[in-house]
Amino acid sequence: MTGLDILATRPGPAQPRAYHFPAFVRARLANGLTVITAHLPGRPLLAAHLHLEGGAGEEPSEMAGVSALLARALPEGTAHHDAVELVEAGERLGAELHAQVGWETLAVALDVPRRHFGPALALLAEMFLQPSFPGHEVDRLRDERMNDLLQAAAEPRRRVERAFAEAIYAPGVPYARLLGGDELTVPRLTREALVARHARFLDASSATLIVAGDLTGVPVVELAEAHLGEWPGVVRVGAPAVRPRLSDGPGSPRIVVVDRPGAPQSELRIGHVGVPRKIPDFHAVAVMSAILGGLFNSRLQRLLREERGYTYGISAGFDFRRSAGPFAVRSAVQTEVCAAAVMDILAELRRIREAPITADELRAAQDFLIGVFPLRFETAAQVVGAITGLVVHDLPDDELDRYRPAVAALDAGAVLAAALEHIHPDGLSIVMVGDAERVVPDLEAAGMGAIEVVRDGVREPPAGEG
Amino acid sequence: MPVSDPDFPIIRFTQRRLANGLRVIVAPDRLAPVVAINLWYAVGSRDERPGKTGFAHLFEHFMFQGSAHVAKAEHMAIVQGSGGVCNATTYFDRTNYYDTLPSNQLEVGLWLEADRMATLLDALNQVNLDNQREVVKNEKRQSYDNQPYGAFYERLMAAVFPDGHPYQHTPIGSMADLDAASLDDVREFFRAYYAPDGCVLSIVGDVDEEETFAAAERWFGPIPARTSPPAATMPKVAPHIGREVRETVPDAVPLVRIHFGFRTPPYGSAAFDALEIAGQILAGGKGSRLYRDLVRERRIAQDVTLFSLPLAGGASICAGWATVRPESDPAEVEAAFLAELERIVHEPVSDDELARARALIEAGELSALGRVEEVADRFGQFATLFDRPELINEQLPRYLNVDALAIQAVAADVFRADNRAVITFVPAGGGEAAA
Repeated sequence: MTGLDILATRPGPAQPRAYHFPAFVRARLANGLTVITAHLPGRPLLAAHLHLEGGAGEEPSEMAGVSALLARALPEGTAHHDAVELVEAGERLGAELHAQVGWETLAVALDVPRRHFGPALALLAEMFLQPSFPGHEVDRLRDERMNDLLQAAAEPRRRVERAFAEAIYAPGVPYARLLGGDELTVPRLTREALVARHARFLDASSATLIVAGDLTGVPVVELAEAHLGEWPGVVRVGAPAVRPRLSDGPGSPRIVVVDRPGAPQSELRIGHVGVPRKIPDFHAVAVMSAILGGLFNSRLQRLLREERGYTYGISAGFDFRRSAGPFAVRSAVQTEVCAAAVMDILAELRRIREAPITADELRAAQDFLIGVFPLRFETAAQVVGAITGLVVHDLPDDELDRYRPAVAALDAGAVLAAALEHIHPDGLSIVMVGDAERVVPDLEAAGMGAIEVVRDGVREPPAGEG
Repeated sequence: MPVSDPDFPIIRFTQRRLANGLRVIVAPDRLAPVVAINLWYAVGSRDERPGKTGFAHLFEHFMFQGSAHVAKAEHMAIVQGSGGVCNATTYFDRTNYYDTLPSNQLEVGLWLEADRMATLLDALNQVNLDNQREVVKNEKRQSYDNQPYGAFYERLMAAVFPDGHPYQHTPIGSMADLDAASLDDVREFFRAYYAPDGCVLSIVGDVDEEETFAAAERWFGPIPARTSPPAATMPKVAPHIGREVRETVPDAVPLVRIHFGFRTPPYGSAAFDALEIAGQILAGGKGSRLYRDLVRERRIAQDVTLFSLPLAGGASICAGWATVRPESDPAEVEAAFLAELERIVHEPVSDDELARARALIEAGELSALGRVEEVADRFGQFATLFDRPELINEQLPRYLNVDALAIQAVAADVFRADNRAVITFVPAGGGEAAA
């Protein structure tokens, strides 16, 4: 086939166009509210986050889920409008408006075409500052959460995440809990509990409004002053309150099989407590976990998917929070090969600390993380999300522009050092939802330690060898 | 009704056809230093023959197993190493491949796609076939077999379309058929469907139009067209199922869920546009009728949904479900769900409901068209299915032109008792669900 010879030579890249993370500017209202704006020409769909300090991590354990229920209940009524009126008002603006809670923060999020930004921000402010938490709506949302827990127990991916968090953290650590609360705590979440919890967020001086998109002719600070300048409740002007860091202590390594009779796959998590976001070797950890289980051709993916065919996909990574979030290898593997897959994963977790990072691996991870950086911030919502991350983790304004040079500067030694420092093969918990009758004998035969089997919520004593 | 948002973009593009039949669409968009490359091949699960289901999707996996100048899994590696992302999906009417890259890597992306279009069979071997067959089986286990209610999709399609109809089986197909797939099947499939004259190449982003057409010609121009392209063979199908199909499926689920399916006019018709607006009014979020009635007010359902699939081959499907709260009566939930569908047939929707649906759809389109990957995919879709890439700028006005009468008309046509499948998943073993 003449002409096709051209395919024998791979073309090189052209000169890259310069890219910087969009510039953003800060303002502060009289009540202490910080307003951050990023002007993105040509992005008429605006995104906004009202970021509040204090999340599910600081709830008393017996009230777990109160912040999450609060977030769901915010749009359910205000001093001036009932739930249906609020929903309809938002829809008329083409606005998507909701609240979401994390372990450390609460965010009220808005996406709206720019011509409707003013009225949509007014709606957001009304929702957050004057919620009425109607008792009958709170009751419904609480019932829905209880039903959701039933559903979660039947979904292997949700069930295993719950068992994994319980396994890797010490008892009582907030991250070991369900963000939305569990079967014991949710029934306690009354309207009064929500009202009390809501009052804890009413600190304008530690709140931040972040807005991105095409802001031509959109006076964000003026609108913020108009709608959020009068912040009722506790207003502390001056230095924001310092919140204590959440405890993140590890549990003892365990092997847990949550029984799902007849399951064709085991939904698998292997890992331990990871690291907080604010660590000096963050970029080395990012590159290391890309090589281990982030890239399509990561070590884990190459072996378990492309060589063995055990799974549709496998990944590994750190969940970066203010305190140490989980480090987890995640996969769903065919029941018949479950034990073999676990052994392969354990071997790769040792190898990432023992074998050198090759020059090709290092370059592949660096080229990906550096090159893909502009793709991560195409929309206003993505830019707001990234700036919110800076606020949540108290990172400097130039953190995102520092990202690519910091990744480029790493050498194989720094990446190996990150693996030695942060991957702990002796501290791994192995947790799965699978067919215990079929996978436990295989795991035992493979020489796994004591295996706990969970059936219908009943924990059986360890059956395996130590 | 015109588009009401003055910020709504008009997407400018140029379309040319190479001598070998490849249709190329280029739309420069300089906002970000990013380019989306998208290839729609006009082959999907609807082109599979009996005994060969799941094959279009299995084949899609081979497209990542190497070609003459690219090693196994190297396509992904080169894209990621270039700072990009890529993937592919197989659907009823098509298979699409897409790469989103820093714009200075355009040529690398085109080279990768051209190499596998021209030379895939050079790298084909039994080891890769066996490996990817296992990967696909694990995909099915993960996405369907090991999920609560996971069989609903297969069952709905089988119920809504007649025996032997190409839409009656889903793209994941049958595992027994996959086991029977041979290297010869792969070769035959490639020769039948993977060629420049069966493909639309769309390039959207930070590129120069003329340079991009020149690059497309350089990389794809030498690839020969098919000698005898297979004829499209979508059979005629009656507009309605003709009866009510009812099934009860015991499963490892904690809550009863009632799935509904209706045969509908095809994607691309004005009636289908009206059906999408009806779906928005009925189940598009917390202001919708089904949510308000079943979830918020009567509190008999945990959640509700209703949506239509974009199938263009003569008919499509509108599907929905309601998850029944533990204390509620499934029969009451089913009746309440169907009563809302009945109501939209008999009473015109209000001006305010229509205005809210339009505002949400307009914002949704604004969001979709703000991403180069989505714009490129839509060009592929509109060019492949309707031979009209200009639909990219017409879709929103078409939605906005839907009025209350059109909604009533399509609802009356679709939401009929003799045109529905009702498939109820119930907890196996009298209410005890697996953990």
